[in-house]
Amino acid sequence: MRIVSLSVLAAAAALSFAATPASATGAIKCKAGPVSGWKTQDTLKAKLVKEGWVVRKAKVDGGCYEVYGTTPEGDRVEAYFHPVSLEKLYVAKRGQVLFRKSGY
Amino acid sequence: MRTILNKKPLFWLLLSIPALILLYGYWRGAIDSIDMLHPTGEFSARLMIIAMMLGPLAAVIGPKPWLKWLLARRRALGVSAFAYAVLHTIFYVIDMGNLDDILAEWLTPGIWTAWAAMLVFVPVALTSNDAAMHALRSNWKSIQRLVYAAAVLTILHWFWVDNDYRAAIIHFAPLILLWIAVFAKPFFASKVQSKGI
Repeated sequence: MRIVSLSVLAAAAALSFAATPASATGAIKCKAGPVSGWKTQDTLKAKLVKEGWVVRKAKVDGGCYEVYGTTPEGDRVEAYFHPVSLEKLYVAKRGQVLFRKSGY
Repeated sequence: MRTILNKKPLFWLLLSIPALILLYGYWRGAIDSIDMLHPTGEFSARLMIIAMMLGPLAAVIGPKPWLKWLLARRRALGVSAFAYAVLHTIFYVIDMGNLDDILAEWLTPGIWTAWAAMLVFVPVALTSNDAAMHALRSNWKSIQRLVYAAAVLTILHWFWVDNDYRAAIIHFAPLILLWIAVFAKPFFASKVQSKGI
């Protein structure tokens, strides 16, 4: 019993240590090459606003541009865009995937 | 020094430090409301998990001085978990900014589970005091046990809102493993006895 409880405790401790916060959700990864070749976040924001999006926040995540905002359809989403082509790759509403480009 | 360290208010203060750092960052404008969601939610879940681990841990390893020390502070852990959940909810509402958007997504799996977890957590937190304990007598324990439902809803919320099971499972695994150990303990004990060891 002692061995069982000790091994459970060891496993629990190991898992607790592994439980570090993941700031990047990492839903999508882009292999977009050097940042010097990327379009700016402002270019993406302007493009999205023109298409009817409301952009709340944009940042880099997993080598892609990650945008928090509202789609032209009115969904509050987290969306990923390719930083070179600005192509839409992934859109999720509170974890529910609304769009995912094939291959991503 | 030892008596100061053992003071319960100091423990409460210790548990509030992450919240104070986060709130200071938000107040300074260094942290957006959306970026307050992850850490407040994670601290709430972690404190809830630690509070819930103490009982089964004592059942598995028996009484230990450090465990007794923590058990005497379990209420602080549980109430702090609730306080972080309240912060999490407040920053969700701030980030959403209006009721229409909140209502538009409340039936999403990742969101209704969160509201349900919060709803279940409220009576547990409100009765986490000596007065409620004396007034409710035997009912008190059943109300406190609602935390199990809150934990299950929290796992589901985390899993669905992330669309990824890893973070939720990694956090809750120690608690789940301990529950398994508690259930397995009588089985192993009887086996050892039957072998005459």
